[in-house]
Amino acid sequence: MPETRFILVVEDDPILKNLLGHTFAGKYQTLYASDGNEALALFEANKPALVLLDLMLPTMDGFAVLETIKKRTDALKDVPVIVVSNLGQDKDKERALALGATEYLVKAEVSVEEIVGRIEKVLGTITPNV
Amino acid sequence: MSFRSLLGITLFIACAVAATVILLSILYLRGQISALLPYDLALEVDASLMNLFMMQAIALFVLALGLSVAIFFVVGSFVSKPLRELTRAMDGYATSGARTTIDGIDEAPKEIRSLAVSFDGLIDRVEESHKHDTDISRVKSDFISTAAHQFRTPLTGIRWALEALQKENLTESQKALVESAVGKSKDLVAIVGTLLDISAIESGKYKYTFAPTDMNALVTEIVASFEPLAQKTQISLFYTHEASEALPAAKADRERIKWVLNNLIENAILYTPAGGTVRVSSEAGGGRVYVRVKDTGIGIPGEDRANIFERFYRAQNAITVKNQGNGLGLYIARTIATDHGGDLNFAANTEGPGTTFTLSLPLA
Repeated sequence: MPETRFILVVEDDPILKNLLGHTFAGKYQTLYASDGNEALALFEANKPALVLLDLMLPTMDGFAVLETIKKRTDALKDVPVIVVSNLGQDKDKERALALGATEYLVKAEVSVEEIVGRIEKVLGTITPNV
Repeated sequence: MSFRSLLGITLFIACAVAATVILLSILYLRGQISALLPYDLALEVDASLMNLFMMQAIALFVLALGLSVAIFFVVGSFVSKPLRELTRAMDGYATSGARTTIDGIDEAPKEIRSLAVSFDGLIDRVEESHKHDTDISRVKSDFISTAAHQFRTPLTGIRWALEALQKENLTESQKALVESAVGKSKDLVAIVGTLLDISAIESGKYKYTFAPTDMNALVTEIVASFEPLAQKTQISLFYTHEASEALPAAKADRERIKWVLNNLIENAILYTPAGGTVRVSSEAGGGRVYVRVKDTGIGIPGEDRANIFERFYRAQNAITVKNQGNGLGLYIARTIATDHGGDLNFAANTEGPGTTFTLSLPLA
């Protein structure tokens, strides 16, 4: 099973997506979604180990994606979701964390390495010694 | 003296004057009678006249007293009470901004009713103008916050791309260039963050992180960061303080207070002509920590002093100076200070030109 674990990256900006991919390549198996509906479809079909979620998305925003995931009745509702968004106001953070996000990062204020660090930390806490 | 007492007393005096006139006419008539009539007849007529007039005078006096008291109460309920109610409503609006109904205004005399209507119109106008200001301010806050978010996405791309580039095999000079670009992109990210914070502070949505703060260390650090600017503009910049142990920790959101002090010190330097002095000092007293920023600058003109903490306000002599402020700095700075439970004030220096700003913070 460990080989099939991958992370789902939801990011609608193609350049930011490429920049994330640049660092993630070789570290994780990654799948990318560029809008909310696509994110939920990929989530359902591939059962990722972790979701990296932007909030401002076309078709369905990240809050709705997060809410849909956390309202599931199966084990997939416990998949950790790290919000990486440029919305950075307290109310956005509080809302996302209340909906069940594991972490909240302001995109412009972190480097890709810091995002990797958070992913490692979160994956580490849920999958010891995979 | 109240209106109704004045009316009552006036009436009483008028009646008293009438009674006096009657008494005087009695005395006059007595003189005439004793001159014209035979002595025994005169005595008789005089006695009955005296009786009649005395009765009249007493009746008039009693009537005057009664009428005065009646007027006191009638005017009291028809004029003074609605006027008092109106005053109460006006005072209430002036102090708390709350509109209240004026009891019994419908039964009040026409003049008072129209005064109440005028007052209502005045309040409408004040509220309309206040709403207009609030709308503009909200639109501005929304604009700042939207623009800042819009900046963040491309900034993220620039930052991440430069950081990725840093990991490539670069020559030393390329590394130095990328390093500068990374540094500046981080500065830009920080500026956008500050803009968003300011807009949140302004709209009262900012959540402070208060912690006991060693103000001595903080001010030392900030003053040191202004040394290059002070040297460039030929200003002597000092920090005088008590020993750290003597300065108890203040309750402060470090980043926000740093922002306030940065603003105060930067303003002091920019508004002080070359050769001048900016002296920062700190002290504790009365359950507070004070940080003062004293300059020998151009000062704040008297007519501007009442307004400098207003949003977007810039003193007349500030506009032509090299500092291109937006007039928000002091308004936000004071908001931050009062949100801490402290305050920000200023005073013109007494012993020479310039201004002293005083930031006060509660103890942790």
